[in-house]
Amino acid sequence: MAIVERPLAIGAGDDAIETNDRPLGSVTRPKETGSWKDWLTTVDHKKIGIMYGVAAMFFFVIGGAEALLIRIQLATPNGTLLSPDVYNQVFTMHGVTMIFLVAMPMGAAFTNYLLPLQLGARDVAFPRLNALSFWVFLFGGLFLNSAWLFGGGADGGWFNYAPNSSVTFSPSHGIDFYALGLQITGVASLVGAINLITTALNMRPKGMTLMRMPIFTWMNLVVQFLLLFAVPVISIALFQLTFDRLFDANFFNTEAGADPLLWQHLFWIFGHPEVYILILPSFGIVSEVIPVFSRKPIFGYSFMVASGVAIGFMGWGVWAHHMFVSGIGPISVAAFSLSTMFIAVPTGVKILNWLATIWGGKLRFNTAMLFAVGVVSMFTIGGLSGVTHSVAPADTQQTDTYYIVAHFHYVIFGGTLLGFFSGFYFWWPKMFGYKLNEKLGKTNFWLQIVGFNVTFGPMHILGLQGMSRRIDTYDAGFGFERWNFVATVGAFIIALGIAFFFVNVAVSRNQWIKAGRPNPGPDPWDARSLEWMTASPTPVHNFDEEIVVESQDEFWHRKYGYDENHNVVRIATAAEVAQDGSNTNVHLPSPSYFPILLALSMPIISYGLIYSLWLCIPGGMLMVYSMVGWIFEHPDDPNAAHDHHDDGHDGDDHGALPDSGTELEAGDGDEELVAVGAGAVGETVASDVVETEATDG
Amino acid sequence: MTRFTPSMRKGVKFLALLTAMFVFAACAGDAELDTRSNLAGPEAQSIESFMRVLLWITYIVFAFVLAITVEAWRRFRIKGDDYEDDEFPAQIDHSKWEIVWTIVPALILVGVFVFTLGLHNQLNSSEENPISLVVGDGANVEWEPEIVVVGQQWWWEYQYHFGDVELTAQRIETLPDADITTATQMVIPVGTEIELEITSRDVIHSHWIPSLNGKRDAVPGRQSAPWKIQADEPGVFFGQCTEFCGLSHSRMRMQVIALPMAEFQEWVTAQMEGVELSPETAAYVADLAAGGTTAPEGTEQRAVDTFRTKCASCHVLDGVTNGIVSRPEEQLVSGAAPNLTHFGTRTTFAGGIVNVWDPDTGDFNRNQLGQWLRDPSSIKANFTEPVSEDDARLRGMPNLGLTAQEVDDLVGLLEMTGAPPTVDGDSEFLISETGVE
Repeated sequence: MAIVERPLAIGAGDDAIETNDRPLGSVTRPKETGSWKDWLTTVDHKKIGIMYGVAAMFFFVIGGAEALLIRIQLATPNGTLLSPDVYNQVFTMHGVTMIFLVAMPMGAAFTNYLLPLQLGARDVAFPRLNALSFWVFLFGGLFLNSAWLFGGGADGGWFNYAPNSSVTFSPSHGIDFYALGLQITGVASLVGAINLITTALNMRPKGMTLMRMPIFTWMNLVVQFLLLFAVPVISIALFQLTFDRLFDANFFNTEAGADPLLWQHLFWIFGHPEVYILILPSFGIVSEVIPVFSRKPIFGYSFMVASGVAIGFMGWGVWAHHMFVSGIGPISVAAFSLSTMFIAVPTGVKILNWLATIWGGKLRFNTAMLFAVGVVSMFTIGGLSGVTHSVAPADTQQTDTYYIVAHFHYVIFGGTLLGFFSGFYFWWPKMFGYKLNEKLGKTNFWLQIVGFNVTFGPMHILGLQGMSRRIDTYDAGFGFERWNFVATVGAFIIALGIAFFFVNVAVSRNQWIKAGRPNPGPDPWDARSLEWMTASPTPVHNFDEEIVVESQDEFWHRKYGYDENHNVVRIATAAEVAQDGSNTNVHLPSPSYFPILLALSMPIISYGLIYSLWLCIPGGMLMVYSMVGWIFEHPDDPNAAHDHHDDGHDGDDHGALPDSGTELEAGDGDEELVAVGAGAVGETVASDVVETEATDG
Repeated sequence: MTRFTPSMRKGVKFLALLTAMFVFAACAGDAELDTRSNLAGPEAQSIESFMRVLLWITYIVFAFVLAITVEAWRRFRIKGDDYEDDEFPAQIDHSKWEIVWTIVPALILVGVFVFTLGLHNQLNSSEENPISLVVGDGANVEWEPEIVVVGQQWWWEYQYHFGDVELTAQRIETLPDADITTATQMVIPVGTEIELEITSRDVIHSHWIPSLNGKRDAVPGRQSAPWKIQADEPGVFFGQCTEFCGLSHSRMRMQVIALPMAEFQEWVTAQMEGVELSPETAAYVADLAAGGTTAPEGTEQRAVDTFRTKCASCHVLDGVTNGIVSRPEEQLVSGAAPNLTHFGTRTTFAGGIVNVWDPDTGDFNRNQLGQWLRDPSSIKANFTEPVSEDDARLRGMPNLGLTAQEVDDLVGLLEMTGAPPTVDGDSEFLISETGVE
């Protein structure tokens, strides 16, 4: 991997280098910027992050609508809004959508946008691969949901247990869409994982040792490792399922002697690390937000990092707690009961460290902080109910009831989703240049958290009353009526709360425009990490010059120091420390059509597998074409894609490299990986296509 | 900051209310599937006692977290969004605290695990306590006691094998014919530990009688490790399939009926016999079984004839389907249909969702049974279409296109298949207790 290509190294006064803009003679490398087409071909991690966020929000609305249908159906006994068949599709697609198309990509949105910024980097390691992950995810998600237009969604539950997932028991194409759609989104996760691991490990700035990395970046590094090892497992399972359904491969066909527990093991070896894939980005966000609004460093940084890594490791040893009643042996049950209990220890460390950070701080309870504190208490409930079913005997009463539904919604909604909302309010000015309205934000928060508890709190009771999961109706007389009705009311309160978020975005933006687009400044919250050290919204080239890191919370330490009594004193304003983003002629990775084309080939092949194998031929041709074009298209066009392109200056953009060692190591080519280990920056080779021309024009 | 104080207080009150909700979670009165009240089995009771302690631990931990949060908000929040640069708290970091809150939760969990292990072993141990039963012909047989539980879309079958039969770890297809086969209702003697051998004929189901014990999955192609239940008092205990099993998952219910030993013995005796027909009809059946082709005379014989031609390819009704080998595996994906010999001794059918006997009047539920025979899908969602073009098998009870006359005859025939067992001498008890609305 670590190939450094020399031909593009640009020396002083060189003429423009010729590169092949049309590697296959048909698709010309895009050059224009500023139009909507720019979004299709961009390789900018910030734009990709925003697109991830928008797409996840789009799917969130779909998944939310499905949730409301479920709640209306269950509001009263013998609900008739949905037929049993449609209900099974709706609850399956609700789960699949929320997990794979909302929570995971929303984490990817934050990671994409923030991870390079927190490292002071130009972009991710492989910008075109980054674009590929996004488009593959989007097309995979659209493909999965297109099942609604082709006769109905998957109807086997998100866990899709064999053999109920076979053609015999689910003859519609819904599960084919499930298997192939998740296969595609899995590709997106894998590609992203490789890219972001490389970025975090290799593109840290000088002085940023691993133990100076912000916790958000740390947690997402752990997540990417989890994805790297978990996604292949589900990919294999999904391939087996696809081959079973399309070509009678008999992996899970019990009539042919298969053991249906095989699917369960494969699914949950993926599925449990998946839970941590969903929650750790949110833990990262909370760990950034709470210190800023407490005016304290995170309590026990090293323990926060270590507990995240411990969760990442232990997360692999607990999967069979999903199978306590499936008939695995008593010894296995006891062992997995033990491991599951003890994963609560590192999680508890995190909760208590957040509390210790808050304690004694100077707390600003704005919306971002409220959501973050909300995560701390709501996730605690989810974690504690988790401990109650780590007790295997108790789990035999609880599993597959609404108690479990309550539990994982406290984890995924109360933990993950509230964390994301905290992140929205916190980083919005950095991303879009204006703050979200606090009044509307607090309304958003209170409606959401009250609605959330009114919806999912009663589900604990329903589960203990014996209401099974995944039932399309229930009869009167089992005592389920009251709390189901309450839960439905709660669901609509949540919907109202989420609506306030969208209203807030529109209102805040309008007010900002009316006020003449005032700039919030680089550091509206008096924050601590590097992303706040550049202008808001983030300039396209991120940073004007490389940052040399000397401590954890580098930005804060540039603003504040200690006096002789060890009191904190300000030594500089944010504006003095932060970069203003005014640099010009920063060479950026070039846009490309090939990621989106390659991504497009995947749903075409998938439709072909389901409906007509002939369709796989054009799909396959598009895939090969895009790959070959990708290979022959040089990762960077030295003659284009410069930020702040200043047409008034003389000559081309490629003046002398500055001598001062301010070259920016950044995402500068897919083939290239410049090793910038901690403390090793001084020796690294100059990046060959990204340079800062401080003296230009 | 003060401007949202009231809402913040409300939030705190709300969370307190929520905590209270958990404490009183088990208060619902009419919850027949409740895991925390009206428990009748020692297993379920042990789980609940453990759960009670466990829940209190979680309440305390949550209250602690919430209290710290609220107190921090009360003490340390600053009003407004701006503050002076000198307003800085101490920038502390004490790793000794980290040790404390790594060790303390770990110790609590070690304690929880020790008790978990004890309970786990209790639930997974079993003792063999054979009991002696007098079966139909007056012979004494030993009964382990164990019951084979078979799930299929969307009803439960219970098989009783008497005598020395090795049931453990056998695939369902290889099991010998059972002495008693019943559907939807499992009848057990009070105070006896029953071992359940749980399996499935199609997809994964889960057998769960909350007031007796936790659940255990029914996995096709394998038999679960033995799972026991025991009822310490006579009564009816409700259950529900809890592993998603397709279209009518929510309509796959069952009941356990616990009878005192004497009444259980009576039930067993009755179950070992076929349906009681008039002597003429019995002779008619014998003739048909021997290959005769006599035309039916009268309602009863007509009903027998209809059953033999329309139902017997899947359903067994001892005394009526004599001489016919049912081959449900050719008709149904699951390969099984309920044995109807003692249909009348059960109180629910169609997966435990329809009453056999009207719970108010105690009469045979002719209306809904007739409706079920006319159009099963109108009562319970079924797959009425064949699996595929090459596979004509169905999933669930098909619509046989019976005439009104045939439906009436069959309802009449099924009415002759017995009455529910008495519980503690009360013959109406079962009918009123199992009533489905």
